[in-house]
Amino acid sequence: MRRHGSPVRALMATFVAAIFFLPLYVALANVFKRGDLITKEPAAFPWPPTLHNIIAVLTRPDRLYWVSLTNSVVVTGLSIVVLTVLSAMLGHYLARSHGRWVQIVTLLLLCGLMIPAQAILMPVVRVLQATGLMTTLQGLILFNVGYYIPFGVFVFTGFIRSVPVELEESAAMDGANRFQIFWRIVFPLLRPATASVLIFLGVWIWNDFLDPLVILGPGQGTTVTTGIYRSIGQYQADFGSVFALMFLATLPVLIFFLLLQKQFVKGLTGGASKG
Amino acid sequence: MGEGLIGTAVATGRARSSSRRRRPAWPRIRHFLGFGGPGLAVYTCFVLAPILISFGYSLTNYNPFNPPTKYVGLHNYRMLLTDPTFLTSLKVTTILTVIVVVTPNVLGLAIAVLLDRRGWLYNALRSVFFLPMVLSSVVVSVIWTRLLDNDGPINQALRALGVAHPPGWLSDPDYALYSLGAILSWQMLGFCVVVWLAGLQGVPTEQLEAAEMDGAGPARRFWHVSWPLLAPALTINTVVLMISAFKIFDHVQVITRGGPGEGTTATIAFVVLRTAFEENRGGIASAQAVIMLTIIATASAVALRLLRRREVEL
Repeated sequence: MRRHGSPVRALMATFVAAIFFLPLYVALANVFKRGDLITKEPAAFPWPPTLHNIIAVLTRPDRLYWVSLTNSVVVTGLSIVVLTVLSAMLGHYLARSHGRWVQIVTLLLLCGLMIPAQAILMPVVRVLQATGLMTTLQGLILFNVGYYIPFGVFVFTGFIRSVPVELEESAAMDGANRFQIFWRIVFPLLRPATASVLIFLGVWIWNDFLDPLVILGPGQGTTVTTGIYRSIGQYQADFGSVFALMFLATLPVLIFFLLLQKQFVKGLTGGASKG
Repeated sequence: MGEGLIGTAVATGRARSSSRRRRPAWPRIRHFLGFGGPGLAVYTCFVLAPILISFGYSLTNYNPFNPPTKYVGLHNYRMLLTDPTFLTSLKVTTILTVIVVVTPNVLGLAIAVLLDRRGWLYNALRSVFFLPMVLSSVVVSVIWTRLLDNDGPINQALRALGVAHPPGWLSDPDYALYSLGAILSWQMLGFCVVVWLAGLQGVPTEQLEAAEMDGAGPARRFWHVSWPLLAPALTINTVVLMISAFKIFDHVQVITRGGPGEGTTATIAFVVLRTAFEENRGGIASAQAVIMLTIIATASAVALRLLRRREVEL
């Protein structure tokens, strides 16, 4: 059991955290501040607070926020669902089969964990152009699936190894086929792994900037991140709107994070302690 | 993690195949195609094939708007070895990587030691440090661009404190790269805090109490009891930070666009994308990408090996 901290430690910790939080405080304060005050007194507390910036973003005539939000929800949602299904099945195959073939596939997937998207984007664009998927949401979703599948597979493979194989063997004896066994018996047992995959990939894909920027292309479609990027150029002086847009774009992830914080941390710290 | 996985795959593969009768070919293939097929097909189209295409393009003068594409051998690589833009990007990326590997690691450990106590206050403070990890790099970049603006809050505060000419954090070529490093460190700090804290929680209280009874002060307790047990946390932090630092693109694109001046903050990832999509020099961009991949693979393999050896020795 760890000890409770002394008052001095509590004070010091709070002080350090407050300094660390300052940038976010300034950003948050500016969401609720009048435009002219943002440049004049950026760090002042927003009093009286105004909802003007938020309303301005929500009611923009070109509906930038709503379009971006819809695109981000569609891309993130479909990507993580397809990723979970495909990587759980591939992970199951790799965990339960043996031989040279399995080693080769594992090794190939391992390479993918390290490859930065920047290094392969140009050929990816060629592939998408050849299949007519360039500048489409489907194209972006397919790329996300291919790019993040190694992560999903390794989370699932590791987890499936800890599930006793006898369960599957007895179900096979009762005459169930492989798909039935997997979806009815194995998959429901993988809940913690599924949660990890959904949470991490959800946040990564929601926050992804480079891939939508290149694949959706200029002007065509925006996700929340590319929407923010484009609006910095447009507004120039109107930082109130930019901060409001960022706030609204981050809100879904923020809520997600606050609800699932424990699982998030658990997933991150898998191998961080010895023994 | 990776090496362990291969290790187990190899070990179990050998143990089982000798004792078990092999299933007939067709059900095996059907099983593979049914479970592995869809995932591997997408992975092949969007990752494996592009890697091979990159290798291929790197040996040509490929330019989508200037056909025909011809084989030029190693010409692109030879050219890059003396190309000032590319060499600068290697230097910039190296400096950034050193900053990003060292700063969040060191500060993160200090903060983790400070926060390693029970109670709601410490839980809440932990979330504060973790928050930037779930923010998009675009959001973080825009926030810091405002903060570090020549007339932004930070310089306003410095002026109020009597600094007549505070530096142009992002507009001065001498400062911009280090400002970028500071921003990245701020965003990555939370990750390190979480990993260090998990490591600290794995240190058995009995050992710490035993050391205390033997008269060891806090510093010696940390150094002799906790620190050796934190080796895996150091490995994770270092490798993850290194890989993330090597591919920094978003912050550069949003905050500095490679400037101010001649490529003072242009990282390899930024240069690869600019060469590919703005200059349309596909062959050169592919050669840059291949070099980038080689560096990342080598550096993380070496780091992993060194740190793992240290883990065993401790």
